[in-house]
Formats: sequence, C-alpha cells, structure tokens
Amino acid sequence: MNRPLCIAHLYPDLLNLYADKGNILTLKRRLEWRGLEAQVTLVTSSEEARPGDYDLVLLGGGSDREQEIVSRTLRRSRDEWKAAVEDGLPLLAVCGGYQLLGEYYQLPDGTKVPGLELLDMVTVAGSPRLIGNVAIESDECGTIVGFENHGGRTTHHHAPLGKVISGHGNNGTDGHEGVRYKNVFGTYIHGPLLPKNPALADFILQTALDYAGIDVKLEPLDDELEKAARTAFQVRRMNLSEVAAQTP
Amino acid sequence: MFGVWIGKLVLLLLSMLRKRATSLPGKIALKVSPRLLRKLGTQLERCIVVTGTNGKTTTARLLAAAMKQEDPIIHNTEGANLPQGLATALLRHTSWFGRLRRKTALFEIDEATLPLVAETLPIKVAVVTNVFRDQLDRYGELDTTVEKLLAGLRKTDAVAILNADDPLARHIGLSYGKTVLYFGMSKEHLKQEHRDQMRDGAFCMQCGHELQYDGFYYGQLGDYHCPNCDFFRPVPDFVGHFQESRLEVTQGQLPPVSFQLPVRGIFNVYNALSAIAAARVCGLDASVIQQGLRQYQPPLGRMQAFPTRPHTVLNLIKNPTGCDSVLQAIHSEPGDKVLCIAINDLAADGKDVSWLWDADFELITEDDSVVKCVTTGLRAEDMALRLKYGGYPESNLSYVPELEAGLDHALELARASGDVPVYVLSTYTALYPLADLLKRRAHNNEPAAMYRPSVS
Repeated sequence: MNRPLCIAHLYPDLLNLYADKGNILTLKRRLEWRGLEAQVTLVTSSEEARPGDYDLVLLGGGSDREQEIVSRTLRRSRDEWKAAVEDGLPLLAVCGGYQLLGEYYQLPDGTKVPGLELLDMVTVAGSPRLIGNVAIESDECGTIVGFENHGGRTTHHHAPLGKVISGHGNNGTDGHEGVRYKNVFGTYIHGPLLPKNPALADFILQTALDYAGIDVKLEPLDDELEKAARTAFQVRRMNLSEVAAQTP
Repeated sequence: MFGVWIGKLVLLLLSMLRKRATSLPGKIALKVSPRLLRKLGTQLERCIVVTGTNGKTTTARLLAAAMKQEDPIIHNTEGANLPQGLATALLRHTSWFGRLRRKTALFEIDEATLPLVAETLPIKVAVVTNVFRDQLDRYGELDTTVEKLLAGLRKTDAVAILNADDPLARHIGLSYGKTVLYFGMSKEHLKQEHRDQMRDGAFCMQCGHELQYDGFYYGQLGDYHCPNCDFFRPVPDFVGHFQESRLEVTQGQLPPVSFQLPVRGIFNVYNALSAIAAARVCGLDASVIQQGLRQYQPPLGRMQAFPTRPHTVLNLIKNPTGCDSVLQAIHSEPGDKVLCIAINDLAADGKDVSWLWDADFELITEDDSVVKCVTTGLRAEDMALRLKYGGYPESNLSYVPELEAGLDHALELARASGDVPVYVLSTYTALYPLADLLKRRAHNNEPAAMYRPSVS
C-alpha cells in the first residue's frame, strides 16, 4: 500500500474566489478512482505553511486585499519556498496565486505589492479587465479550456503553460497563457481549472507522485463526461465568442 | 383628516410615476397624523394578523387568497409589515372623506411591530407561524421576540393560532391566557435523524431544563416534552398530514379534508396548514379555501409546484448561498425524487459557471433519495461533471443539453421510478422557458383532476 499523497490547499479562507475547491476535489477523486489516497490539508491564514510537508501545493485566487495578506504571510518563509520550488516542489497557482509567484503586483495607483519572487515575472494592473472563456494549447497536456477574469497583465521570461487559441491569456498581447517552470504550473484559467482538463490534472498528479517518490504510473480513466464537457465547451462557447467577436 | 389627504396624495403621485408604493405614503401620513392607524383601524370590522419569524408573507398570501373568495379585503401584499406599510394598505382603500371602503383587513405584521399597533386594530385572529432565530441576532434576541409577541397578543382579545410543534410558540400559548388554537403535523412525519441544524429554544421556557424530543419535523419543530415539569407538545386542534402536493387537515372530530397545495417544501406545508387553520377560524368552508389556494400565485421559481405528471417543483438558483438553501429544502423533502438541473451561462446568468463548485451539491449527491439526476442547458455537461466529482453515481446521471428534451427525459425517468416528484433547478435564463414548458405539460394533464377539491 502506497502512502497517501499530501496535498496542501493554501489559505482557502482568503484565496477561494473561483471555486478552487473544485481543483482539490478533482485531484482527490482522480487518485481515489485509481485506488490511491490523497491527504488534503487546508492551511488557513493563521497557520504557517511549511513547503517541506507537502507533495503538491495549490495556491488559489483572491481579491487584491486578500492577496496582500497572503503575500505578507508567505514572504516570511520565502527562502524556504524558493528552495523547495528549485528542488522540484509541484505547485499549482491560479489567478491571484499565480500573480503572487512573481516579483510584484503593481496596483492601479502605482503601489507595488511584493510577490514571493519565485519566478522572474511581474504583473501590472490594467484596464479593462480581461474576462471570458479561454482555450490554450499546451505541449504537455493538449488543449486547456476554462474561464479567465483578471485585471493584471503578467509578463515573464519563462515558458508559458500554453499558447492562446481563443481569449486573452497573460496580458492580451503576447499570445501566452500561464507559466511553466520546473514543477510550477501557473495560470489565469479557472472554471475551475482541473475538472474539465483531466490531462492536465493527471499530468500534475503524476508529477506530484514522482516528486513524492510514490512509484505509480497513472492509468487512464474513463473520462467520457470530461470529454463531453470539453467538446461542448469548444463547440458552444468558442464558436459563440467568434461570432461575438465579429459583431461590432 | 389631513393625514389621509397627504397620504392619498403621495399614493396618487407615486402611482402616476408608476412607482411601487408600499410604505412611503403611510410613512408620510403617519408623520402628519400619528393617530392615523387608530382612526382608520376603528372603522374595520375585523383584522386578522399573521406574525412570526419565517413564512409570514407566504402564509398571509395563502390566507388572503382564500379570504378574497368571500369578501374584498385590505391586505399588505408586498410584505410591507411595519406601521407605515399597514397605513399605506389602509390608505389605498380610504375615501377622500376618510372613510374605509372595506371592512376586513389581513395584515402580515413584523414581530416587533405587533405591540406597537395591536391596540389600534380590532384584531380577532392572530397567527404566529413560528419563532426562529435570525442568523444575525443569534444571542439573546430570541427571548425578546417571544416577549414582544406576547406583549402584542396581550393587547388584543384575538384567538391566537399557534404552532404546536414549536416549543417557543407553546410557551406563548401557555402565557397568553386567552383563547388559543394549535396547528401541528401528524406524528407520522417525525424524523429521528437531524443534520446539524440549529435548535432554537431547546430549553424549557417554563423551568429551564433541556427539552427532550421524540422526533423532529425540522429545526426545533418536533414532538418535545420537558423531563422536569409538565411542559409538553399539545395535541393540535388542526393536524396536518401531507403527501407530495396534498395536505390533509383534520380538525378535531371532523372528517379530514384534503387540499391541493400550490407550494412545496416542509416549511411551506406549515405555512399552508396555519393559513387553512386561520381560514377555518374565520368561518370559511373547505371548498372556499381550496378555491383560494388554487388561485394563489406563488412567486416564480420558489418551490413553485406544477401539477404535471409526475409533480414538478421549480426553483431558481443563481449563486452558491441561494442554491444551498434550495438544496437544503429539497434534501428535507421525504421520499424518492428526480432532479433536473438547468445551467445556462448567458449574460443574465453569469458567464462564469465556477460557482457551481462552491455550492454544496454534496447535500444531494450523498442523498440516496435522489434516484436520478438529469442536467440540461448550455452548460449541462459542466453540471454533470460537478455531480460526478461530488460523488454522484454516473450510472444515475445523464445530460441532455436541450431544455425541453432534458425536462422530458427527467419526467420520463420519474415516471419509470414510480411517479416520484421532479425537482427542477434552473438558472435565470432557463427559468422562464422551463416554467412555460411545465405550464404546458400541466395543462395537458388537466383531465387527471389534479385540481378537483377532494373532500374525503
């Protein structure tokens, strides 16, 4: 019997704007359906998160104010996090959590909220907000679909998670979405991200299992419903936004 | 007199501007003439009031629907239940000479307002639906509410109609000292299981001892007694027994009378039971009450029942909090059921459907009584995925994106499962199309005598 995979959901009390609960649930279920076990730890803002205790960490999205609190909390153990990421700690960061990975997030008034500086990346608040359905193409996991809603424009010098097929992506200009660095996955895509992107969910899980030293190769699951949801999304929603784009 | 003029003038002005006037005319009139309520109130022959924590509006509207069958009444329909709301309702039926044109008033009154207005109105019947705690004023407020209700009642000679299943209402009944009639559910509906709902008034108001329950209906409503003193649930004068959309009411030794309910949900069954009890006390006979209930228009998509085959209940869902209370209500409904969940993602629904993952659908995926689930709408597959990851068995789950086909599939499955009711949950833009479809299916079904008042 393998030991359970330890998954940490960081600060669900502050960062749970776009149903990050769904991402955790997806990771948990997809392990269970293969006879594996997940041990999910909800780390609240009053607790100290120790990167060494986990095999996979999820950092979700929150409002600007809440993000600031999280940033302040996490920066106290910044060096520890930096070392863990360099060492290959699997980290999934969505929306606000994604922005926190960079050097800073510049607010509309010019104030720079310092990030964790784990990546060579900056985010600057812009207008209008970039909102809508989004689809990107990733080398590792094929097409990734979901919804984006962010004011920040993010630029970095790492590989993106994928190239934008439809939607805005990191900044609406360079055609990139998200970030991939070592075992870090950063993205603006929620909806939530993982239920409709089982290939990505499994890729992240496999990465985490390998990192944890759990000797398992994930077998494919019957993802009929997941595939149907992806197809429906691409047919109904991507076409619809093309029509919408043509209407003045 | 001046107050009446001012009030009527404001009323006229607002109606010319096509503004809803439920409080403002009364508020201004009361400022000018503080004794206005008494002046108009004394012209009434009788006044019936509905008060309590939850269900005032529905109860009052159900009762109004029945009473209107006999006589035109004055009623604060929009739930404007403070003094200015009552004054506005009265002004609407007052002539420029200050004469009231209707003689019966039915008022929904806020608990705290009751003692303020009780002396000014000829209150003959007073219904207290229940005494629950509001989320916000969690501590210490409950006793105050009970005291206010008592203070209000004591200023009247009304027949008090109280909830036998509510220990707090029973306390009011014991302390009132005048005529009290009780309504309550049949003991067959008692449940042993209770999820972690708050139990208000779980302590005996007479001696302070913890109450013991031989079963619960919902919340603190149940079959209670105090192990320390002689405080216990009274035998109700009106006993309700419900099955799907029918409520059978037994009044004393009289034969039971069965009513077709236009609303669903156990809390609405209580509302209907108290309204029927009050209507009986007001002297209405069963066929008149049934006729009134038939004409009752529930707000669209709030546990709205349709007499389709099998029965359907339509609910609007639009955010996690509202969705959770709907799921809670469905979960508390006894018996097997089929769910049909319609999710659209148009502008009026919100284009981002991630909220589905924040809502507590686990409440129904863990509920064995939900035998089948059909998802429909533009995001049918997303909803199905939510249920799958929530732990609902895929073999009982199907998705049919097209609304009409989805609804019909759910009805088909419900028929095949032994005519179990279908609970339809829908986001905004699918609600009206679904209501139309349900109306049409209910219409085709009319020969099945859904509406015939049965007196058995």
